[in-house]
Amino acid sequence: MGSELLISLNTLMAITLPAATPGTVMHPLLVLVLCLAAGIGTVLTLPGKRETSWAKIGGVIALATGVIFAALLAHHLADVGRGGMGPYFWIFSFLAVFGAFRVVTHRRPVYSALYFVLTVMASAGLFVLLWAEFMAAALVVIYAGAILVTYVFVIMLASQAQTPAPGGKSNMGSLSAVTDYDTVSRDPLVASLIGFALMGMLLFVILDQSAGAIPPTVTPPKITDHYDSSVQELGRYLMTDQLVNLELAGLILTIAMMGAIIISRRRIVSTESGPVLLETEQAEVIAAMGIEQTGGSDPDSIPVYGTDNAAVKAYPER
Amino acid sequence: MELLALQHYLVVGAILFGLGLIGFMTRRNLIVMFLCTELMFQGVAINLIAFSRYWADFRGQTFTIMLLVIAAAEASLALGMVVLLFRQKGTLDAEAWRELRG
Amino acid sequence: MFDLIAVQYSWLIPLLPLVGAVIAGFFGAKLLKQQSHWPIWIGVGLSALLSLSLLLGIADHQAHQPLTNGEYHPAPSDNAISKKWFTWILAGGDSSVYHTYGAEGHDVAKADGTKNPLAPFIVEAGAWIDQLTVVMLAVVTGIGLLITIFAAGYMKGETGYFRFFAYLGLFIFAMVCLVMANNFVMLYLGWEGVGLCSYLLIGYYYEKPAAREAAKKAFLVNRIGDFGFALGIMLTYLAFGTVSYFGNGAGTFTGALELATVTSHMSHFQSQAMAWIPFLLMLGAFGKSAQFPLYVWLPDAMEGPTPVSALIHAATMVTAGVYMIVRCGTLFVGNAPAMTTVAIVGAFTAIFAATIALRQFDLKKVFAYSTISQLGFMFVAVGVLAPVAGIFHLITHAFFKALLFLSSGVVMHAMAGELDMRKFSGLKKMLPKTRWLMLIGCLALSGCPFVSGFFSKDEIVGAAWAHSKPLGAVMLFTAFLTAYYTFRLYFQVFEGPEVLPSAPESADGHSSADSHDHGHHDEHHDHEPAIMVLPLIALAIGALLAGYLNWPGEQLGHFLHNSPSIALSQEVANKTYGDSNVNQVSFGGRETEEHSTNYLMIVSGLIALSGIGLAYQMHLKNRTAPEKLARQFSGITRLLEGKYWVDEVYQNAIVEPIRRLGRAFFMVDQIVINGLVWMLGFIPRACGFTLRQTTQRGYLQGYAATMIFGIAIILMIIFW
Repeated sequence: MGSELLISLNTLMAITLPAATPGTVMHPLLVLVLCLAAGIGTVLTLPGKRETSWAKIGGVIALATGVIFAALLAHHLADVGRGGMGPYFWIFSFLAVFGAFRVVTHRRPVYSALYFVLTVMASAGLFVLLWAEFMAAALVVIYAGAILVTYVFVIMLASQAQTPAPGGKSNMGSLSAVTDYDTVSRDPLVASLIGFALMGMLLFVILDQSAGAIPPTVTPPKITDHYDSSVQELGRYLMTDQLVNLELAGLILTIAMMGAIIISRRRIVSTESGPVLLETEQAEVIAAMGIEQTGGSDPDSIPVYGTDNAAVKAYPER
Repeated sequence: MELLALQHYLVVGAILFGLGLIGFMTRRNLIVMFLCTELMFQGVAINLIAFSRYWADFRGQTFTIMLLVIAAAEASLALGMVVLLFRQKGTLDAEAWRELRG
Repeated sequence: MFDLIAVQYSWLIPLLPLVGAVIAGFFGAKLLKQQSHWPIWIGVGLSALLSLSLLLGIADHQAHQPLTNGEYHPAPSDNAISKKWFTWILAGGDSSVYHTYGAEGHDVAKADGTKNPLAPFIVEAGAWIDQLTVVMLAVVTGIGLLITIFAAGYMKGETGYFRFFAYLGLFIFAMVCLVMANNFVMLYLGWEGVGLCSYLLIGYYYEKPAAREAAKKAFLVNRIGDFGFALGIMLTYLAFGTVSYFGNGAGTFTGALELATVTSHMSHFQSQAMAWIPFLLMLGAFGKSAQFPLYVWLPDAMEGPTPVSALIHAATMVTAGVYMIVRCGTLFVGNAPAMTTVAIVGAFTAIFAATIALRQFDLKKVFAYSTISQLGFMFVAVGVLAPVAGIFHLITHAFFKALLFLSSGVVMHAMAGELDMRKFSGLKKMLPKTRWLMLIGCLALSGCPFVSGFFSKDEIVGAAWAHSKPLGAVMLFTAFLTAYYTFRLYFQVFEGPEVLPSAPESADGHSSADSHDHGHHDEHHDHEPAIMVLPLIALAIGALLAGYLNWPGEQLGHFLHNSPSIALSQEVANKTYGDSNVNQVSFGGRETEEHSTNYLMIVSGLIALSGIGLAYQMHLKNRTAPEKLARQFSGITRLLEGKYWVDEVYQNAIVEPIRRLGRAFFMVDQIVINGLVWMLGFIPRACGFTLRQTTQRGYLQGYAATMIFGIAIILMIIFW
């Protein structure tokens, strides 16, 4: 499948570029160039005040870079040996990277969340390939099922609160409104530069130096193809060797839950017409209702929404 | 599993991490920023699982479970604070919070 | 002679005025106030008593010496004492080998002129008491006392009364140190001390800018001379290994002045040094005694109060130069070029200053230039190998000049600060006593026959004439000018119709007017209080009779001859120029021949009288004549009134360039150095600002970016 092309590309590289350390998968310079290209593509794709055609071009560039990268890796793999790297690896990896790319570059937050779900699914697939089925399932259930749903809830909450539905338009008007801060990204060049610098370094380390990082004298244990259900093994391991950590994890979750509740407390006042959720800006309303503002006097307490704690010092305005 | 296959998985993890980093630094929407941190978590998780497979050790997976736990806790708290911040300023723009400039 | 009480307590002579000055200075402001003169009176008075007793003691001792050949030739060590008070400076060398001079093997300076390399630099504070010293001491303390008495009346009511007397006491202390010193360093101490006191006292009215400038000028010009002087002292030390005059005593050849006489045993360096030392030392003398070209400070110094002018700038300080040259005669006399230089400079200054005085209208300025001129006379005397004449003239000049200055002070007080003689005239009715006293002083200054100045000036003129006829002629002419301008002043001020100044308090228009605290000018105000007149009377008596110190019997000369300074210089002169070429009388020695200059006496007397007569003609009989004459020779008049523009030349050639240089340096200081300092403060602030603008924007993501960037770099460093 175009292996001739790839072979020629490789020989071209071998001729033109200076030799890399033995054991490298890819020449570091090549990594740099690819990262640069991908970076340019990302920058173009990030939300910004330019025409969408540019974004499309950027996407294409990023895509192309990714494909080249993958091809090179695959080619190298073909040289060395396969070792359980079937086509599913490529599919899942590609989906994951694509999803991540769209998370970062899409204008609408809801779409970002959804693309994140895609990434999670792809990761789960990768986990399955790596014989971590329980993790895969856990990922899907916890991440995609709980965390991302929460994210989407909050996105909708925020969108609804800031732009009331414009009259005459569809009910989804608030959600379809694209806010300014979503359309313009901050310092895309610098951020991309730095991010890709780091990524390039990581890749370089992985591809170029990892042979030295993990010395060849230390070999991983031979894994036989026959494996008991890893879920069972994992369960046994967790409950026996990592029991304390497990319990601690539960404790963390409990505390987090309590913290979340405390942070987002709101004051509800029961009036004749029923319980009323107080907003802090409704000072006149509160005064009219004849409710006194109480908020305690501890200057360090987390403010409860709807109360007025006089002891809390206002943050000095600039 | 050879070293080489490990490297491929590590590459995927690195790419995910990098992209999440860029997204965190670039996007202005608070929620999308936190979403990108979750993306970074993903990358790390892939790393951990790959190593777990390489060394045939369950500690990697255990770590990943802990990572999930932390991610969940962090997500809930972070979103709670985003809501609080949103109530204060009425906007999800990260640029609205620049009071600590020097 | 050591048994004399005054010798034993010689250290009191400088100490008492100093203590008086300290008391007046510290307690005068709040405590003593207008009574601040008492510590000084007591201090200086006791000092004067001690000096007098010293003088009498030495004279007495000398009188009891056995005579040989009708004259006494005592061993020099018998008549002069080096009285050591304490060791002042002991530096360097190997102090373990320090012993007194003359101890075996540890001589500081050996007889062959080489310096003992182990010897430290020793300066002992002590007194060298010989005939020259006691004469000078008597003059300084005596006239000083009279002037302090006068000043108590003159300065009455001044706000800085205590300050004046404190400085005066300090001055007497310094002058006594100068005169009594037994080594060059103590001489230099006194030298600088009188310079300092001169500065302080000239600038007494420090609120007047003219006074401040004058004080600075005096100090700086003196400094130039002192620089040469210091070099001379250093050269002396290098040449002879000691700064002491006579070391352990005259005759032991342990002091610089005696070592300088041993010309046969001198090393090459020493003989070279002997060629240069006099020139360097005379620079100091020129500065201190206001000779050309370092005279410019003396006329300006008249900004100070009149007692200051009298004491410092007439009687004592300015004579220090003459005294020094006489004291160090052995260093000067053998050096013919040096002596010629001294004489020529003295003569030139004398006539130069006399011509300027012809067109001065300020009382004190006339006397200031007169002082410069008379000092020129003294220098001429010293330069033509007549040190006794020089000292004689010094003494008489001290008397009559002080008298003249103080009388001008009385006039000034009476005229409420006005000193321009064109503004008043005919004061004999208003100030009768002053008139007579000033007349005596003027007669003395002019060299009127049988008054003191006549004898002393005649000796100088005689010595000059004998040395070289042109020089003598110049001195005679100067004497004529002196008589003329002196009596010009007298006739203008005291004789003639009475004219009083119309605007009494015009002190600001006048450059040398004292600021005046008295307001009243009614006739009941006594212009001649006793406290001011009595000292004047004493001075007048001195002015009249001091001439008989050395005439007709050369008593002063014989007295001074026993001073090792003078005796040794006579020996050096004889050796250098031959016995017959040196007038032994002028060194106080035996008369070898009759005074061939008797006729010169008559001539100079006639000249003085003719000067007086001319002044009478021009300023009493026909008062308009001088102005007519001046207009006729307007060029000369302008030259004289501009004082030959010497001040302007100095200002433009020396002062302004230095000022400009100073300004340039100041600019460098402002721009470069201040700039550096400013940058030192600016750079951190700039860095801080830059950092603040770049790294602390408040963006959360910016911070994250910075962190990531840092991690990337660390990874790069570790792995690449």
